[in-house]
Amino acid sequence: MTGLDALPPGATVRGRADGFNDYLVGPAARRRLLADRFIETFEAWGYGFMVTPLIEPLDTIAAGVGGAQQSALFRFMDSDGALLALVGERTVSVARVVATQLHDGPFPLRLCYAGSVLRNQAPNAGRRRESLQAGCELVGAGGLAADAECIALAAAALERGGVEHIQVDVGHADFIPGLLDSAGLEAAAREEVLAALARRDLVAVEAALEGTDAADAERRLLLAFPTLRGGREILDTAAGGLRGERPHRALQELAQLWDLLDAHAITDRVHLDLGAVRDWDYYTGPTFEVFSVDSGFALGSGGRYDTLLSRFGTPLPATGFVLHVDRCHDSVVRRAGTQTTPVVLHVSWESDAHEEALELARALRHQGVACACDLVAGGDGDVRVTASGARWSDRGQDEQGSVDAAVAALVAGTS
Amino acid sequence: MKGLRVALPGGTLFDNACELLAAAGIARLDPARFDRELSIRSGDDVFVKVRPTDVPVYVEMGGCECGIVGKDVLWESSRECYELADLGFGRCRLVLAAPRDSALAEGVWPQSLRVATKYPVSARRFFAARSLNVVVIRLHGSVELAPLTGLADCVLDITATGRTLAANNLVEIVEAGASTARLIANHAALKTRNEQVGAMAVALRRAAAARLTAGAA
Repeated sequence: MTGLDALPPGATVRGRADGFNDYLVGPAARRRLLADRFIETFEAWGYGFMVTPLIEPLDTIAAGVGGAQQSALFRFMDSDGALLALVGERTVSVARVVATQLHDGPFPLRLCYAGSVLRNQAPNAGRRRESLQAGCELVGAGGLAADAECIALAAAALERGGVEHIQVDVGHADFIPGLLDSAGLEAAAREEVLAALARRDLVAVEAALEGTDAADAERRLLLAFPTLRGGREILDTAAGGLRGERPHRALQELAQLWDLLDAHAITDRVHLDLGAVRDWDYYTGPTFEVFSVDSGFALGSGGRYDTLLSRFGTPLPATGFVLHVDRCHDSVVRRAGTQTTPVVLHVSWESDAHEEALELARALRHQGVACACDLVAGGDGDVRVTASGARWSDRGQDEQGSVDAAVAALVAGTS
Repeated sequence: MKGLRVALPGGTLFDNACELLAAAGIARLDPARFDRELSIRSGDDVFVKVRPTDVPVYVEMGGCECGIVGKDVLWESSRECYELADLGFGRCRLVLAAPRDSALAEGVWPQSLRVATKYPVSARRFFAARSLNVVVIRLHGSVELAPLTGLADCVLDITATGRTLAANNLVEIVEAGASTARLIANHAALKTRNEQVGAMAVALRRAAAARLTAGAA
């Protein structure tokens, strides 16, 4: 370590851009394994794995996501002057692929992906600017059964990945806008309340509602928005006194969705959350977020987005979700503590037994045991191969025997 | 983890925050104890005293489930937290102020303006809506000196009583915003610890309202 004073002024420290991570041996493997478990689960549910590019034309992204998300993109120029961006999420890319290459179905399409997404956040904020996301899109299915499948699949994938104590919060993107409609608010007041809700600023919601003639039932719900949570029973509580048809329809959909989630046997991990604050311009139906007590951030999120595909000329209903692999990895590590790195056996050899050593290594790898063979003779590895056999140690005990015996013992020892 | 971790702002809001927590029946914290200890446990809850600008950082990143902080700090912070309750105390205003004898004080807005402030984010947001050529100069203290020395034409600063402004021959031109202390919460904690966070919000809100009534009486 060199002190700051010892560095000449203007000296370049060859570092890494802030918000980006190196994952070294161990963590990198565990992170990849976690993503693999997610993808395996997606595939087991019939979702086909596909790959989209890390870069998309800015126009394509702008057709899909709002201004706030666009401003957080890393943007640059192509050689012909066209604006490109590193993707900040991948649903829009999948939508583009469906609209341009898969528009003939067969529907519903079940697609999954995993890849980096980038956000140009302010440095030194402690936030990741590159993160790994794994997600699913279910395109061409409009019913609530599709939403239930996505929620159940997200939960199944997280559990398969070893993420414990998850909790799924299910909301509806049309409930709060519908509530504002039926409250009889003027357009300006409605926008003010929606903006305050989007900022998650309950104090401003209250201030915006003050002095308006919002109906009592709606006002009560809007003011209670972060606490409108619970099981199926909260739907009846919320419905009392509501006049408009829109919020009632959202509540009915949530009731049906709850019954479907019950059929998927996951309602013990589900809360209905009527105050869920999501991107109302993007989502059109049920939405959900997955949490764990081990993390201050949502581990995954998703919902129905029936208008996105039409922006690419292919009006199709769709629902989907994304899992934040890095946050899940953080959560697993926080619970399990630092785990040991994967075991790699070292194979050494006497000068006349290089060939035998390579053969033993091949046999071990064939049996699924990771091993590295010394590049020069005379090393002191976990197993030492001679022209006549091998020596190894088994629970502190020195053993000696044929190459075959060594393989059998080492496979047994690492399994 | 049974209780909540709560970030309290050091500085002018600190004593009031402790008093309100006591009035709400949440915790009796002796402010002087924080001079010796960084975190104090009360029942199941843990309270930490941090710099006001760090409160939203602790809360957003999940270091604490809840925090108490001035709205002025939230204006300046780009952290995503839920703002659950107006706690009523720590009332102050963010105002644009200029020297008494300046054109600005007469109500004439110049084409270009140099603004000294400790609140550059708020300043940029405030002037974004106005077609002015504004240069924001970020200072870390005593911004009132900037117009006196010719460093800036005016200041965008927090004032509670207006005394400091007046003492430096500055007059208020326009108010950019009014601030009070707020209860903020982490996004995930609001979902996974909903009952506890909700109970704290209700208790603090009730205590704040009671105080306001008592103060008005």
